Amino acid sequence: MKNELYNRLSAPLKKIGLSPLSVAAFILLALFPFVSPNAYITKLGITCIMWGTLAMGFDFSVGYINVSNWGYAGLMGLGAYVSALLLKFFDITPWAGMIIAGCTAAAIGFVIAVLTMRMDAMFTALLAWFVGIVLQNIVTALPEITRGAMGLNVKPIFRGASPTPYYYLILAICILTFCVLHIFVNSKFGFSFKALGQDIEAAKAIGISPFKYRTINFVVSCFVAGLVGGFYGHYIGVLSPNVLGTKNVVQILVIAYIGGRGSIWGPLLASFLLMPIFESMNSLVEIKYIIYGLVLIISMIFFPGGICKLPEKVRQIIKDRKK
Amino acid sequence: MILRTENVTQRFGGLVAVNNVSLEVQEGEIVGIIGPNGAGKTTFLNCISGFYTPTEGKIYFKDEDITGVPSYKLCKKGIARTFQLVRTFPKMTALENVKTALIYGGSDFKGNLDERAAEILEEVGFAVDHNAIAESLNTMQMKRLMLARAIATKCELLLLDEVAAGLTTAELPDFIALVKKIRDSGVTIICIEHVMKFISNTCDRVIVISFGQKIAEGTPQEVLSNPVVIESYLGKEDE
Repeated sequence: MKNELYNRLSAPLKKIGLSPLSVAAFILLALFPFVSPNAYITKLGITCIMWGTLAMGFDFSVGYINVSNWGYAGLMGLGAYVSALLLKFFDITPWAGMIIAGCTAAAIGFVIAVLTMRMDAMFTALLAWFVGIVLQNIVTALPEITRGAMGLNVKPIFRGASPTPYYYLILAICILTFCVLHIFVNSKFGFSFKALGQDIEAAKAIGISPFKYRTINFVVSCFVAGLVGGFYGHYIGVLSPNVLGTKNVVQILVIAYIGGRGSIWGPLLASFLLMPIFESMNSLVEIKYIIYGLVLIISMIFFPGGICKLPEKVRQIIKDRKK
Repeated sequence: MILRTENVTQRFGGLVAVNNVSLEVQEGEIVGIIGPNGAGKTTFLNCISGFYTPTEGKIYFKDEDITGVPSYKLCKKGIARTFQLVRTFPKMTALENVKTALIYGGSDFKGNLDERAAEILEEVGFAVDHNAIAESLNTMQMKRLMLARAIATKCELLLLDEVAAGLTTAELPDFIALVKKIRDSGVTIICIEHVMKFISNTCDRVIVISFGQKIAEGTPQEVLSNPVVIESYLGKEDE
C-alpha cells in the first residue's frame, strides 16, 4: 500500500529529476527560514545550500565521467567577478549577470575540455587547476578593474538586511541544479557518462565518443560553478582573489567525496553535515585545511563509498538480519 | 570481402610489434589468429579495431579505408571487439551494460531497450540475475556479458581477444557452440586464441603470427602440423 503510493508518486517526479524523498527534503528546506531563530542561522543555511550546490556540480563530473575539476573554485570565482563587474560597469541586472556568469564559466570549461578531453582525465584536472590559478592572478593583477586584493564591493540583489530572499534564491538555484543534473543522469546521456567514467576503453569499443560526451558533461558542470559564483558575489558583498583559490576547491572536494561519488544527492546532504562544522572552525584559519585533509583521508580509508552508499549498507544489514 | 589489411606495420619506438601483416577475411568466416606470447596478435587486433593507428599499411572494411578511424566510429560502422582482460562497466548492472551498448552502438534500436537487452543476455546464455552488478560476476559470466555487449552494437565483424582463456574444459563446448551461433546469425569473427581445442573446433582458417610477422596461413589442421609453426611455439629441436 505504502509502496504503491510511493511508486505512483515517483514516476512523474522522475521525469523532472526528483523523487518523493527529495521533494520532501526540499519542502523542509523551504520552511527553514520560518523556524530559523536568527539571521545567523539563516545565513548558515545559505552557506550549506551554496556549497552543496557546488559539490553537486563537482560530483557531476567526478562521480560520473571520473574527471576531477581542480579549477572549480576558479570558475566559481570567475562567475562571481563577471556578474559583479557587469553590474558595476554596464549596469546589467544581477539576474542576467548570474546567467552570463554561468555561461562564461561554461565557455572556459569548454576550452579546457576541447584541449584535454581526448587524453587521460588527469590532464583535464591539471589544466583546470592551472586555469584557476591563472584566473586568480589575472584578478589580482588588474586592480583598476577588479580592485585586486583590496576587495571589490558588490552591490546586493535585494534591498534590506534580511538574508531570507537570498535563502530562497539559492534554494531555487539548488533545486534547479538538482533537477537538471538528475534529468541528464536519467537520460541516455547518463549511460554514456557512467560508461566513460567506469571504463573508457570499453566505452570506446561500444561506440561512445569520449571527447563528445565528456565535453558535454564538463561544460554543464562548469556552468553550475559560474552560476553559483554569480550568486555568491552579490550575497557576500565583497570579493577578493582568494575566492578563486585552490583552498576552496579543497573544500568542495571534501564535501563531494564525503557525500559519495556518482549520486548528486550525497554531496548536497554532506554539505549540511560538514559546512556547519567547517564554519565553526573559521577561527582556526589555516589549521582548518589540515583538518579538511585529515577528514578526507579518514573518510577515504574507512568509508570510501561516502554518504550516498549508506542506504545500501543499511538495507544490506537489514537483509542479513532477516536471514 | 569484409576486411582487408595491407602490409600493416605497428612500431613502438624501436620495437616492431606488427610487421607487414596482410590479411583478407570473407563474410561469414571465423578466422583464428594464433602465435606465441608477445607475438603482436593483440596489437594487430588493436589496429583493426581503431585503438591504434598503424605506423604503415592500410585497413579496409567492406572496401572502405578505415585506417586511423577511432574505435567509437568503427563501432557504429559495424566492428565490435572484446578485451583480453575482461572489461565491463563495473558499477552498472549486467542489463545496463548491454543497454548502453544498444544505445550507443551501431544498432539505432528504437524499441524497448530493457526487453531487447534481456533478449541478448539470454542469447549468450547469461544465466544469472540480469540486475546483478557487473563487478560481482565471475569470469565466465563477465565474458558472456562482454560478448552480449559486443553483439548489442549490431556488429558485422566481431574481434574476440582470447575469449576462451581461463575457461574450464567443461565450459569450453558451450562457448564454442555460442561463437558458432553468433557466426550463424551473420557476424564474421576474427579471434585470437591459445586454446587449441577452441581453434580447431571453430575456425575456418587460421593465421599464425610470430615476432610480428605472419608465418603461416591455412586450415587449423594444416597450420597446426606445419613445422614452422611448431618451431615458433616449441623452439627448434636440438640436432
